[in-house]
Amino acid sequence: MEKTTCIIVGAGPAGSACALSLARKGIETVLLERGRTPGEKNVSSFVLFIKELKRLVPECMDELELERNIVRSDQIILSDDDVKTITSFNYKHIRNPVTFSAFRRKFDAWFAKKASMAGAELITGMTVTDLIIDNGRVIGVKVGDEELYADVVVGADGYHSKVAERSGLNPVLDPGQCLLSVKEVLNLPAEVINDRFQLTDGLGAELGLWNYDVNNFKSGTGTLYTNTDSISIAAFASVADLKNKNMKLHAYLEKFKQHPYINALIKDGTLREYQAHILSNGGRIAPEKLYGDGVLLCGEAGAIMDTMSGMGVPTCIVSGMMAAETIEMAVKKRDFSAGTLKNYLKYLDSTSLLDMVYESSKVGEYWDGAGKDEMPDDIKAVADCYNKWWDVDYMSKDYYPLMANLFFKIGKHFMPKILRWPLGAAIKITSLYSKTCEKIKSKIRSRYYEWKKQYDG
Amino acid sequence: MSGKNNMTVDEKMATVKIKIDKEAHITVKKEFCKKCTTRTCLIICTAENYKWDEERVELIFNYEGCLECGACRLICPEGAIDWSYPKQGCGVKFRFG
Repeated sequence: MEKTTCIIVGAGPAGSACALSLARKGIETVLLERGRTPGEKNVSSFVLFIKELKRLVPECMDELELERNIVRSDQIILSDDDVKTITSFNYKHIRNPVTFSAFRRKFDAWFAKKASMAGAELITGMTVTDLIIDNGRVIGVKVGDEELYADVVVGADGYHSKVAERSGLNPVLDPGQCLLSVKEVLNLPAEVINDRFQLTDGLGAELGLWNYDVNNFKSGTGTLYTNTDSISIAAFASVADLKNKNMKLHAYLEKFKQHPYINALIKDGTLREYQAHILSNGGRIAPEKLYGDGVLLCGEAGAIMDTMSGMGVPTCIVSGMMAAETIEMAVKKRDFSAGTLKNYLKYLDSTSLLDMVYESSKVGEYWDGAGKDEMPDDIKAVADCYNKWWDVDYMSKDYYPLMANLFFKIGKHFMPKILRWPLGAAIKITSLYSKTCEKIKSKIRSRYYEWKKQYDG
Repeated sequence: MSGKNNMTVDEKMATVKIKIDKEAHITVKKEFCKKCTTRTCLIICTAENYKWDEERVELIFNYEGCLECGACRLICPEGAIDWSYPKQGCGVKFRFG
């Protein structure tokens, strides 16, 4: 019987971050990936933020093959006959670059190789079909007829997580809790991109597309960003909304592409690749469902995803690192029961990850709520928030009021007028005070702590 | 590769590299589909793999052209679609994901 200390299912950002941290701690780790090379099953749908990665792999900038350093962010509110756009520049990111466009095929392959060079055993082409469970305790995984045993299994296998499903931590997925995305990568010469987006070589722009066709279709949003010699354009919508509105998501993406404003930017682009992926709406798995006897969930498998900001990779990396800390503790204690692995939540709580994800999931609920076709007048405020958002660091805990602020500024256009100003005032006051007064800061967070008590008490 | 507007999904799918599995990773209990009134799978599938055959009165699908988003599995009102990841290294291979 082959047995190792830790099996990690999925060599994405969460799995590789966990494997790399464990390998550095000298813990025997096997990293399983269903693709023939890591990253070939993954689709990025936003700018890649590598602030957290830099802490884990300081030399990453020299080794990674990245496309463009994203220094400009345009938030665009679209209607059939109007466009409002606000542009924010992030040129400080040139001096300390952390925002990039990148292809996941290269990024994930590099990250997994990094883990394997540190000592983790990477095995590709392994689709985990089932878990081996003994007395309610996860003791290994099945890959077809093959059986692999381990003290602890880490589920980092994405939205359709086999580990979460078979361990009973998240057996049924809810279509209301996920976003479907389709993306097209369009070939365009680098000079044409530079001209159209007013860029120089190596610098890139990102466009957030909001509110288009919101009367018919509440949850639809889009994004567009520049690669070296191509443009990625994606559309997102909740699966439940697509179902209710009988809307094809790829038809919605076509609508974006044919909008005069967007069309001028992507004109003559030839299709390089067509992609689709699914991601969670963020934070809908209760924290007590992130661990079990001999099992931990990381990244998308545990719905640890900051949907509103679109940041999946940094949240995955942080959760993977925290899972590694937990496993190190379990190895020292030689105890892999749920009682020890519960410390995962304490490690997660030392970062701002759960706060942000939880906040983000509430925004998701607003997408499902009432929608009104309005062109908001204060998109400057929205863009300002976005600008600050780019400085969010999941490893520190200081950005909570910012998220609340942003949540309101975007969410309010979707909520009834009568709720707007009292809610707005409340958020404004709390976020103002929280900056100066630690006591009141804890009050704003009380709701979160109530929710957290479920696992503490 | 084509520069024209309004490409069909089939034309778009020609840009995707897929290693075809001999074994189907999607199975559909077709008797349930006859009772189904919504047929949401026809709408939700980003690769338009599900089609309704009016003559034979049954759902036809093509597991080979699957982008592996798994949305069909989530929305089938009858629970007739059994979708899982393709086995050992098969399936879609995104080059620019």
